[in-house]
Amino acid sequence: MSLLRYIGRRILFVVPQLLGIILVSFFLVKLIPGDPAVMMLGPTASQQSLDELRQKMGFTQSLPRQLLHYLHDVVRGDLGTSWQTTQPVTQDLFQRFPATLELISFGLLLAIAIGFPLGVAAARLKQGPVRKFADYYGLLAGAMPDFWLALVLIYIFYTKLNWSPPPLGRIDMAVVSPPTVTGSMVIDSLLAGDWDALSSSFGHLVLPVLTLGLINAGPILKMTQSTMERTLASDFVRYADMCGLPRRVVLRQAIRAALPSVVTIVSVLYGFLIGGAVLVEIVFSWGGAGQYAVQGVLNADINPVLGFVVFSAIVSLVIYLMVDLLYFALDPRTRT
Amino acid sequence: MMRRNAIVGPQVNRRDLLKSSAAVAAAGAVVPTALRWQQAQAATSSTLVIAAPATPQSLDSNFDVSLGTFEAVAALYDNLLEFNKIPDPKVPGAFREDIADHPDKPAGLAVQGKLAESFELDPNGKFIRFQLRQGVKSNWGNELTADDVKWTWDRKFGLKAIGAFYLSTLGLEHPDGVKVEGKYTVSINLDNPNPLLAKLQPNLYAPIYDSKKCTEVATDDDKWARKFIENNSAGFGPYRLEQLQRGQQAVFKARPDYYLGRPAMDTVIFREVPTSATRASLLQGGAVDIAQYLQPLEIIKLRGQPGVTVDSVAASFMIWLELNAKTPPFDNVKVRQAMNFAFPQEQVLKTVFQGLAEPLTGCMPNIYAGFTDKFWKYKYDPEMAKALLKEAGLGAGFKTSLAYNAGDPVQEPIAILYQTALRDIGVELELKKIPAATFYNAVSERKQPIIFYVDSPWCPDVGYSMTLYFNSTSFINYSNYANEAVDKLLKDTARTADQAARVEMMTKAQEIVMSEAPWVFIAFPGYHFAHRANLKGFTYYTSNNIRFQDFARST
Amino acid sequence: MRLGAATAAAAPGVTSAPADRRRRGRLRFFLAVLRARPIFALGYAIVTLVVITGALAPVMVPYGPMVADPNVYLQPPGAGHILGTDGTGMDIFSRVLSAPRIDLTIAVLGTLLSATVGTAIGALAGYYEGQRTWRTALSTFVMRAADVLQAFPVFVFAIALVAVFGQSVRSIVLAIAFVNAPIYLRLMRSQVLSIRRLRYVEAAYIAGASDLGILARHVIPNAIAPVLAQLSVNVGWSVLLTAGLSFVGAGVVAPTPEWGSMIAMGFQNVVTGQWWPSVFPGIALGLTVFGFALVGASIEVLADPARRRVLSGTLG
Repeated sequence: MSLLRYIGRRILFVVPQLLGIILVSFFLVKLIPGDPAVMMLGPTASQQSLDELRQKMGFTQSLPRQLLHYLHDVVRGDLGTSWQTTQPVTQDLFQRFPATLELISFGLLLAIAIGFPLGVAAARLKQGPVRKFADYYGLLAGAMPDFWLALVLIYIFYTKLNWSPPPLGRIDMAVVSPPTVTGSMVIDSLLAGDWDALSSSFGHLVLPVLTLGLINAGPILKMTQSTMERTLASDFVRYADMCGLPRRVVLRQAIRAALPSVVTIVSVLYGFLIGGAVLVEIVFSWGGAGQYAVQGVLNADINPVLGFVVFSAIVSLVIYLMVDLLYFALDPRTRT
Repeated sequence: MMRRNAIVGPQVNRRDLLKSSAAVAAAGAVVPTALRWQQAQAATSSTLVIAAPATPQSLDSNFDVSLGTFEAVAALYDNLLEFNKIPDPKVPGAFREDIADHPDKPAGLAVQGKLAESFELDPNGKFIRFQLRQGVKSNWGNELTADDVKWTWDRKFGLKAIGAFYLSTLGLEHPDGVKVEGKYTVSINLDNPNPLLAKLQPNLYAPIYDSKKCTEVATDDDKWARKFIENNSAGFGPYRLEQLQRGQQAVFKARPDYYLGRPAMDTVIFREVPTSATRASLLQGGAVDIAQYLQPLEIIKLRGQPGVTVDSVAASFMIWLELNAKTPPFDNVKVRQAMNFAFPQEQVLKTVFQGLAEPLTGCMPNIYAGFTDKFWKYKYDPEMAKALLKEAGLGAGFKTSLAYNAGDPVQEPIAILYQTALRDIGVELELKKIPAATFYNAVSERKQPIIFYVDSPWCPDVGYSMTLYFNSTSFINYSNYANEAVDKLLKDTARTADQAARVEMMTKAQEIVMSEAPWVFIAFPGYHFAHRANLKGFTYYTSNNIRFQDFARST
Repeated sequence: MRLGAATAAAAPGVTSAPADRRRRGRLRFFLAVLRARPIFALGYAIVTLVVITGALAPVMVPYGPMVADPNVYLQPPGAGHILGTDGTGMDIFSRVLSAPRIDLTIAVLGTLLSATVGTAIGALAGYYEGQRTWRTALSTFVMRAADVLQAFPVFVFAIALVAVFGQSVRSIVLAIAFVNAPIYLRLMRSQVLSIRRLRYVEAAYIAGASDLGILARHVIPNAIAPVLAQLSVNVGWSVLLTAGLSFVGAGVVAPTPEWGSMIAMGFQNVVTGQWWPSVFPGIALGLTVFGFALVGASIEVLADPARRRVLSGTLG
C-alpha cells in the first residue's frame, strides 16, 4: 500500500505549509489599513459602540492572540464572517467556489482541446503553416491580457452582434436556477433536466470560457509541443520506428509518454487560475471566489481574504494529489 | 440624508425564487436562445425587476445608509405623515412631493396622514398630537397602536445611532417627551419650540415599527431587535421581505392586507448589478424594468431607445468637494475661493455630465424654499484664482491631494479635469482612488485635504439643510467648517417656527458660507429615472429613492 | 523546466584574446539565428521599439499624456487624434506611447529586484543544502518559505501587498518582486546544487577560498544562464500583472498613463460603443509582452546547447 502511505505523507507535509500560508496571510491582511469596526457600524457609530465591537471581534487583543483564536476557529471549520455580506465566510465560499471551479474547469477543457492537438501536430510537422501557427499562437496567447480579451469579446459578441447574453453572472435573471447538487450550473441543469436553465447557463459560460480557453491554450500547446518533440526524438520512439511499427501506433505511444507533463501543466494552470481568473470574473460579474477575495482586500474585509487563501490552498492540494494519482495511472515506472 | 456605495462581490446564483417569473421564462423558451436575451420580459407581468448598484447592506435605517437600504425601508415601513403628491412640472406622467411653503395650511405644509389619520400641531411648535388609523396590521398581523410609536422613539433613544441625530435635530431630550395618550393617540412634546416637528415626520428615518413583534424577538443582548431589523422587517408598509441575499438580490412581496390596498406590483426583485453599463444594457434589452444610478453617457444613449423612458427631474442631490478647513492651506478663505475660481465648472457639466446637470450655485438644494443663488460668484477665472493665491502668500502654488470614490464613475473624470485646470495656477493635485466600500470612512475621518461628496438633505427645509453641512458640531460637516456667526444663525433658526424669519436668517448664513467657500461647488446632478416605457407612476422624493408601491404597468 | 541548461557557459579562467574572438563568433552566430528565425528578429525589434518609444515619449507625443481637454472628449480615431480621445479628452495616442515609461519601469525594476534577491538566496540555499550545519536548517527553511509564497494565489497576494504598502509605483514593484522571487530562488538553487559538486568548485574549496568567494566567482557565473532566459519572459509577465493590478484599482494612480488603467478607464465606454479608449492600450500591451516573450524564447534557444546545436545544424 505504498500509494496510501504516499498520500498520507503528502498530507502530513501539507499541514505545516497550510499553517505557513495562514500565518503569512494573517499578518499581511492585518496590515491592510482600514478599520472593519468603523465600516461595520457606519459613520454615525459612537466611540463606545465601536470599542464594544472591537472588543467583541477580538481586535483589542495582541496579534499572536488573535492568530491563535483564528487558528482555533479554522480547525473547527469556522472562517469568521464577512462584514460586507454579513454572512459566514464558509457559507459565502461554498456558494462562490463552485462558480469559479465551473468557470476554470470548462476554460481549461477548452484550452486542452485547443492546445493539445495543436501541440501534437506542431511537434510532428517541423515546417509548414500548422507549425507556424502554433509558434505564433503560443506566444500571442501568453501576451494577451485576459481581461482585455474578455472586453473585446464582449464588445463584438454582445454590444455589436448581440449573440451572447449580457456579461452578468452565470444564468439569465428570468430563469430559475436548478437545485444545487454539484454547484455547477450546467451539470445541475442537466441533472434536473431543466433545458431552459441549461441553455441559459451554457450561454453565459461561452464568452468567459472562450477567454480563458484561448489564453490558457498557449502554455498547454507549448508544453505538449516541447515534450512531444523530445519524446519523438527519444530512443524508444526511434527504435519503434525502426522496427517498422505503423506510424499511428508509434504516435500513440509517444503521446502516452508525453501525457504526464501535460497533466502537470494543466494542474499548475488549474491551481493558478483559482485566484488568477479573478479579472475575467470581474469583467463578467461572475460572482466567483477570486472576486470575493479581491473585494475583501480592497475593502479591508479580512475574513474573506483569509478564507479564500485557505480554501484555495486546500483545493490546490486536492488537485495536486489527483495529479499524483494520475501519474500512477499514466506512468508504469511509479508503480513499483 | 447620505448614501454610501457598498459594492460587494456580485451575485453567484439565485435559488428557490422567481416563482412568478418562471412563467415568463417558459413563454420565451420557444425563441432561440441567442434571441431570447434581447426579448422584453412579459409586459403584463406584475413582477418589477430593478437593476441596482448594490443590495441593501442592512434594513435598519438607524444604522445603515448604504444604497438600497432606503428603497427597502420605504417599502417595508410606513410613516405617520407624508407629503402630498403633485404632478412634476417638467415631466408629464411623473409626480413629486409638494414641499413648498404653504402658510395657509396647518404647520405651513402640504402633508397628509399616513399611519396617522389626523394630527394637531401646537402653533408654537412645542407639541404634536397624532390620531392613529385604526385596524392597521403589520406584516406579522399585529395591530398598530400608540405603543408602537412610543417604542419606535424609545429605540432611537436606546441605540444612540442615526436616531440620536434625529432626536437632537428635534430637540427631544427625554423618552418621556413621547406620550401615549390613548390606544390610538400619541403626542410628542418638546421643551423648546421646533419648526421641524411636523416636517420631519415623512422622513425615512422615522418609520414606525411593530413593537409587539420586535419585543418578541429581542433578547437580553439585543434589546432593540437590531439583528432582526437588520435582516427582516416588522412594519406597516405595503411590502414584506421575501429574501435578502446580500451582494445578489433582495425580493419583496406585496402585502394583500395592506391598509391602503394591495400594491400593483406583486413581486419586486431588487437585483445587484455593480456595473452601470450593464444595468443600462439590461434595461435596454428589457431584462429589467428599472436601471438605477446610470452614467450620463448611458442616460443619453437610453433616451433614444424604443421601449425605454428616462424621466429627468430636478432633485435635491448635490455633488461637491470638501475643502478640509483644518488642513493648510485650506484654512485660508482666499485659498478656498481660489480653488473655486480654478474649477472648470462649465466644462465639467458639459463633458462629464453631458449637460444633464445644473451648476451648483449655492450650498443647499435649489428645489427647497429658502435657497438663493444670488451669492454665487465663482465663475471659472484662473487669473482671479492666481491673484487670490498670491494674496494668500502661495503665488508659487502648492501640492495637495484629492480623494475620489472608485465606485462613482463621474468622479474620476471630474478629478482629472480639475487636475489639469489646477496645473494652470501652479497647484499640483494628486489623485487618490478609494474603494467604494471604504470611501465613506475616508469622508467621515475628515483627514483628506480634498474629498468628493455626493449628498442631499432629505428634509426639505432651509434650516435643516444648512445645519447639516455648516453647523460646526454637525456630524456630517465633513469639511470641518466652523464660523461662529453661522452657528448662531443656525441655532436661532432651529428655535423658531416663524418661517419668514427663518428664511431671512438662512439667507444671511448662505451669504457667509458662499463667500467663505468651504466646498468646491460642482453640480446639481438631478435625478434621472430610467425605466421601461410601460412602467407608470414614478414619483420623485427628496430622499432620492423609489418606492415600489408607486408603480403600475400601463396596458 | 529549463534546468541543466547552462553548464556550457564559459568555463572559468579564460584569457581575453580567445574571449574576444568568441564574442565576435557569437555575434555572427546570433545574426545568423535571427536570419533563420525572423520571428526572433521581430521580438528584438518590438522590444527595441517599445524601449525607444518609452525613452523618447516626452518629445514624440503630440499632446500631454495627462492633459485633459474637455472640448474633445471621446472622439473616435481620426485626424487630430489618430487613436481618438478618452472620456476626459486625453489623447489616447500620446498616452499609449507614454505608458512604457511606467509599465516597463515597474516590470524591469520588479523583475530585476526579484531576480537579484531570488538568485542570491537560491544560490546560498543550494550551496549549503545537505551540509550538516545550522545553515542547512536555514536553507530548508528558506525553501519551505518559498513553497508557502508560491502556494499563494498570486493575484490576491499582489493586491494585498499593494493595499498594505499603499498605492504607488514602489508598492507595485515590491509586489512584483515578491511574487516572482521564488521562481528565481528555485531556478538558482537547482543550478547550484548540480554545479557545487563539480571538480573546479571542490578545487577552489581546497585552495582555501571562502564560501562567498566560491559562490561569487565560480558558482553563480556558471549557473546564471537560465536565470537570464527567464528574465525577459518575466518582464513581459510583470507588465501583464501591473496592468491587472491597475484594472482592479490597485495599480498606479490615475491618470498616470499606464496600459492597464487605460483599459480599465475605458471599460464602461466599451458597452456604450466607444471601444477605442480600451482597445488600443490593450494592443500595445499585448505587442509588448509578445516582444519580450520572443526575446525570452530566443535566449532560451541560444542558452540551450542541445537546441543550439540543432539550430546551427539547420543554419548549415
